[in-house]
Amino acid sequence: MKALILVGGFGTRLRPLTLSYPKPLVDFANKPMILHQIEALEAIGVTEVVLAISYQPEGMLNFLKEFEKKLGIKITCSQETEPLGTAGPLALARDYLVDGSGEPFFVLNSDVISEYPLKQMIEFHKSHGGEASIMVTKVDEPSKYGVVVLEESTGQVERFVEKPKLFVGNKINAGIYLLDPSVLDRIELRPTSIEKEVFPKIAKEKKLYAMVLPGFWMDIGQPRDYITGLRLYLDSLKKKSSPKLAFGPHIIGNVLVDESATIGEGCLIGPDVAIGPGCVVESGVRLSRCTVMRGVRIKKHACVSSSIIGWHSTVGQWARVENMTILGEDVHVGDEIYTNGGVVLPHKEIKSSILKPEIVM
Amino acid sequence: MGSTEERIVAVIMVGGPTKGTRFRPLSLNIPKPLFPLAGQAMVHHPISACKRIPNLAQIYLIGFYEEREFALFVSSVSNELRVPVRYLKEDKPHGSAGGLYNFRDLIMEDNPSHIVLLNCDVCCSFPLPDMLEAHRRYGGMGTILVIKVSPESAYQFGELVADPVTNELLHYAEKPETFVSDRINCGVYIFTPDIFTAIQGVSTQRKDRATLRRVSSFEALQPANRSLPTDFVRLDQDILSPLTGKKQLYVYETMDFWEQIKNPGMSLKSSGLYLAQFRFTSPHLLASGDGTKNATITGDVFIHPSAKVHPTAKIGPNVSISANARIGAGVRLVSCIILDDVEIQENAVVIHAIIGWKSSIGRWSRVQASGDYNAKLGVTILGESVTVEDEVVVINSIVLPNKTLNVSVQEEIIL
Repeated sequence: MKALILVGGFGTRLRPLTLSYPKPLVDFANKPMILHQIEALEAIGVTEVVLAISYQPEGMLNFLKEFEKKLGIKITCSQETEPLGTAGPLALARDYLVDGSGEPFFVLNSDVISEYPLKQMIEFHKSHGGEASIMVTKVDEPSKYGVVVLEESTGQVERFVEKPKLFVGNKINAGIYLLDPSVLDRIELRPTSIEKEVFPKIAKEKKLYAMVLPGFWMDIGQPRDYITGLRLYLDSLKKKSSPKLAFGPHIIGNVLVDESATIGEGCLIGPDVAIGPGCVVESGVRLSRCTVMRGVRIKKHACVSSSIIGWHSTVGQWARVENMTILGEDVHVGDEIYTNGGVVLPHKEIKSSILKPEIVM
Repeated sequence: MGSTEERIVAVIMVGGPTKGTRFRPLSLNIPKPLFPLAGQAMVHHPISACKRIPNLAQIYLIGFYEEREFALFVSSVSNELRVPVRYLKEDKPHGSAGGLYNFRDLIMEDNPSHIVLLNCDVCCSFPLPDMLEAHRRYGGMGTILVIKVSPESAYQFGELVADPVTNELLHYAEKPETFVSDRINCGVYIFTPDIFTAIQGVSTQRKDRATLRRVSSFEALQPANRSLPTDFVRLDQDILSPLTGKKQLYVYETMDFWEQIKNPGMSLKSSGLYLAQFRFTSPHLLASGDGTKNATITGDVFIHPSAKVHPTAKIGPNVSISANARIGAGVRLVSCIILDDVEIQENAVVIHAIIGWKSSIGRWSRVQASGDYNAKLGVTILGESVTVEDEVVVINSIVLPNKTLNVSVQEEIIL
């Protein structure tokens, strides 16, 4: 079985993190974002994954080869030379996706994390016999997104409404599709929107069905949602009683700690914290609602909350880092410094406090 | 002095990628030394200045960038100016003098009588032939280019005190808290090969002190130079400062312009200074036009031959337009640098801005800033491939590469 992951372009919303690594390789819960999806696909028998990209940064190919070897799955890149929208990339990758077997293929949006109930989706697709299945998820504020209006009992999609002003429904497109190869015949190789052009046509022919996504869903393409997404993800690990979660007297709530990280005495870690490989958390440190990426050192008595600390950065002694502070790669926050929402580009030293949200270039 | 025997070697320090994050966002896409000012790479200006020195044997660029980043430029400028230019990569930081010392064997290969040392990120008229003549007259080991600045701004630089008659350097203070002198160090020097002996002296002194620290615990507590490795030698603090008043160092004062190019705003100012200089040294490089066959040009303007400018546009003063840019009908450009492959559509206005490579400025849109070269947002900077949609206004802002602006913004940094 095949799958396409829409990776897109420069990941500018996740800067400054994406100034150091391409978005698919930015870690989420101690694992490159794209690996969460590739693993979920591999688990249900997908043998080939195509990444639809609009630019290929140096070094990405090496990572992909590594994943290929480790997971025993084929990974190819399909690179658009001009912007093709959300459907065009499928046409571009046609030759990889169609193998004559008539099997449907998955399409995933790379910014999304969820439980990926892909097996259930395959069964749903078989049972309704339509041409295309999409996952939808319930949200509190549907007007921020594109709403999918569906018939509750069968899941048949009636129509799509982009950012509706009046309430028409609370289910939005979760960015996970299972499509029959015939859908590719509907997509021309030009900039095309899957939500505005392709799906509405299929819905009109009553061949598009939507399944409500069980479990959590989040678009982690920007820092605020990334932090919320970590909470949801760790929560779902808890529900499954995952052995990956840390425990101990110094742990509150759901916390992920890489086995190569060290935590000192008298710390209080959690809730909703991920500590990456090779991190050193010195004694007396308080961490909550934050991601600490590979190679970071948090010095004694520091306090970090609701922030993302980028690869190989350091947080000084008694420093206080909070309120959506995002440190890029190799950023060093001096001792006793306070940062309130500072967004710091890579390779910087912060020697004076940042009192209100500010971008430091 | 057998001047036909004398050979001169020039060394230009170009810095490196993780140093000087102040040049962001432009430095995210190009090494700072290669950023164009008045249509030529920043480092091209000191290189052309060196070309005016008689008997120039070789130019070395020393920095921390990867060799491949400079390969194309070095081969093209060597061909263009017919002078051997070579880029040397430092393996680790040695300090401003240590870097020079690190490559002394190469530099001395041509057996030069004099070594000209320049910092790449200064905007200057580089009066090197006159300075060399003065250096010969003084007969010292080194001559430093100085310029007079306002007393209020002098603290940002190295301040020098010189004898008004002999021009001997009597005192040097780096960024002093209190006022010492309004003559400051321009970052342009001429040395005799004795400079290497002086640098080695400092290294040896450090080594001895390090040995002493191992045997004497009192020495180990001394704060000065405690953390500097023995081969890290700074030109100003370690070499120049100790040699004042010993008839070794002299100053040469320039009356022309001088600026330090630390942030993108200053690159716009420097571009203007070089364009003004072209009016005297190379007027054929400047554009002209009166709106009939070519666009109306006012003030100093550079337009690359491959750029297309509609005759109804009005360009200048202080505008530099790079290769393959397309300037549409009725466009007004004032005080800006338009980089390669930019498209500016009809009736747009750009004032006090730098528009990054391949960007697109929509019809009737307006990109401007206050023009305060030193303020963080005083010059609007658009990174590579930024699209400003029709009728959008962008004021006093910085936009990182690959963004599209479809709503107006003011005083913002957009990542």
